[in-house]
Amino acid sequence: MAVDRISLGVQEGEIYGLLGANGAGKTTTMRMVLGLIYPDDGSITYGGKAYGADVQRLVGYLPEERGLYPKVKVSEQIIYLAKLRGMNGAEADKNLRYWMKKFEAEEYYDKRIEELSKGNQQKMGFIAAVVHRPEILILDEAFSGLDPVNVELLKLAVKELRDQGASILFSTHRMEHVEELCRNITILDRSKTVLQGDIREIKNRFPREQILLKTSSPVEGLDQIQGVTSVEGTPDQYLLKISDEAAAPLVLTEAIRQSDVRHFEVKEPTLNQIFIRSVGERHE
Amino acid sequence: MNRLGTVVGFTFKNKVRTKSFLITTLLLALVMTIGIHVPFLIQLFTGGDDAASTNKIGIADGGQTEIAQQIENYVSALPNNELEFVPLNGQDAAALNEQAKTQKLGGYLEITPGESGTFPAVKYISDDGVVPNDIQAALQPALENAKTRFITAGALSDAQIAQLTTPVQLQFSSYDRAAGVDTSSSGSGNNEEKFSPMNFITVYVLMTLFFFSAMLTGNMIASEVTSEKSSRVMEILITSVSPLTQMFGKVMGVFLVGLLQIVVFGVTIAVNLMLPHNRNVLAGFDLDFSQLPVDVLVYGLIFYILGYFLYALLYAAVGSIVSRTEDLGQAVTPLTMLSLAAFYIGIFSLNSTNSLLMKISSFVPFTSPTTMIARIGLGEIAFWEIVVSLVLLLAAIFFFGWLSAKIYRTGVLMYGKRPSFKELRKAMKAYKI
Repeated sequence: MAVDRISLGVQEGEIYGLLGANGAGKTTTMRMVLGLIYPDDGSITYGGKAYGADVQRLVGYLPEERGLYPKVKVSEQIIYLAKLRGMNGAEADKNLRYWMKKFEAEEYYDKRIEELSKGNQQKMGFIAAVVHRPEILILDEAFSGLDPVNVELLKLAVKELRDQGASILFSTHRMEHVEELCRNITILDRSKTVLQGDIREIKNRFPREQILLKTSSPVEGLDQIQGVTSVEGTPDQYLLKISDEAAAPLVLTEAIRQSDVRHFEVKEPTLNQIFIRSVGERHE
Repeated sequence: MNRLGTVVGFTFKNKVRTKSFLITTLLLALVMTIGIHVPFLIQLFTGGDDAASTNKIGIADGGQTEIAQQIENYVSALPNNELEFVPLNGQDAAALNEQAKTQKLGGYLEITPGESGTFPAVKYISDDGVVPNDIQAALQPALENAKTRFITAGALSDAQIAQLTTPVQLQFSSYDRAAGVDTSSSGSGNNEEKFSPMNFITVYVLMTLFFFSAMLTGNMIASEVTSEKSSRVMEILITSVSPLTQMFGKVMGVFLVGLLQIVVFGVTIAVNLMLPHNRNVLAGFDLDFSQLPVDVLVYGLIFYILGYFLYALLYAAVGSIVSRTEDLGQAVTPLTMLSLAAFYIGIFSLNSTNSLLMKISSFVPFTSPTTMIARIGLGEIAFWEIVVSLVLLLAAIFFFGWLSAKIYRTGVLMYGKRPSFKELRKAMKAYKI
């Protein structure tokens, strides 16, 4: 079984993050949403409607592998794919040029896909997924294999589509993208939902375990404070691990007593840490 | 319908523009052009002054002047005769050989008297020790004629001798034809026309054409589907258009490509045949294009198109099961065998179109596109038989079209290991087309 009892909802104008280790069932979930495969049990609705030909036109999909004809010209196949989803040729061409300009890739209009670098193929795949203005967009590892500049370009594009009201289902195993883009997430592990909900709430559910402290002069004896498990850092900048949030005020009082405090932060757990904890624990 | 057109157009445009298509088409057209020119070229090479001397034959009568004279007379009376006899006088073989060489003869006839009144032995001696076909064709009846005259020794008239040397022809016909009943659907149940070389050629060409286009375009479709699958375009396509539309669009697109190729070849052949120098040579083959059997061509076209679709749909289904182009060859083998069977049953039965094998296979959808044509063109067939065969073929197309769409829908999502029949069946039940 690839996925077991998953339930999620994506609103209009929302980017929904689907996280999970390799083989957790992200792609399978997306394929079910796409109607490529059917769930053995349960249902998927699109704005209240069941899957059908009219839903197909509303959906855009960027598969993890490029998903384009290697030997066909970029413009030709993207317009072809848009036509198959019910858009007329002229409009598809207009949209294609708009996106190419946005991605600074106008020179690839007449090139064949196999002539492009992997990153550029990825960009073309993204254009192919959005050229027909889908209301539902499914992005499987959209940013993998891209350099930081292109990642930013694509992020901007995804945000633009979100602001235009698209519902976007977004899978990745790169947590920093999720924190930036998504409001709600589902973390999958071995076919099952491990964590689900609003990122803020999820983070609050996990104890804050780190304190970042910057002072003008060294502070002694921080490791003696009750609840502090370890202290690392240079003489004026410390990273403390705590087992209990009650230790935080004690650390701050101690620091003020000894020196000037320039920065004090009880750090919230990163999604990365949450992911490793929730997925890693299950593996132990 | 609109999307079907989009798929057809895209498939056609991309296939036609590939280098491999352009090169094979041009290459085959070139081969055809050369092939048509072969008779002309042969004539060109053999038509030189070399030929003039080979048409001269020496004759060493060995004292049998009468027989030598009869041979000469007979041959010179033949229509279109080009042979010329030169009398040779030599005591032994060496002298005769020497004379033949100096006079640049093609060879010479040596007549050696037989023992005690039997017909003399005749030997053709030449440089390479071989009798050219045309010379043998002229000499054989001449010798038979001379022998008859020798044995009858003037007891028979020339007309009687001529009758004796004409071989007996066994004629044959069916009960219906003998009774003057026309069972053929074509309405042109004329015996002579049925067995005209034009019919034979038409049937042969149609069968070959069917075999090759089923194989070539079938493989084209299968590899197209497989490459779409391996590049994962399929995942996008299948969420955009129904698999049935996709599959039919592809099959029709490639069909148009095949048709274009056939038209190119047809035009190449026609243009070449029209060239004046080729027309002269072909006239010698006794082919009359006005005798082209239209009914056979029309039926041929119908069976060709339907048969093509039957095979093409199955090739598409096979292509969808395989994930990598490397594995495709093995997967299409059963289909290749099937089309080979259709072709060879037809070809080997051209001379016995009414055999039981032909009768059975002309109703089997996979073999009927070739065997039915052979029966229509060269055999005895009732109209209802053609109709039944067509209906069966259509039914097979609908059934296998449906099955192929199911397989297609299921197969395109199966990667990695080959699916077991159980898995396939389960998945096929789940997907709507």
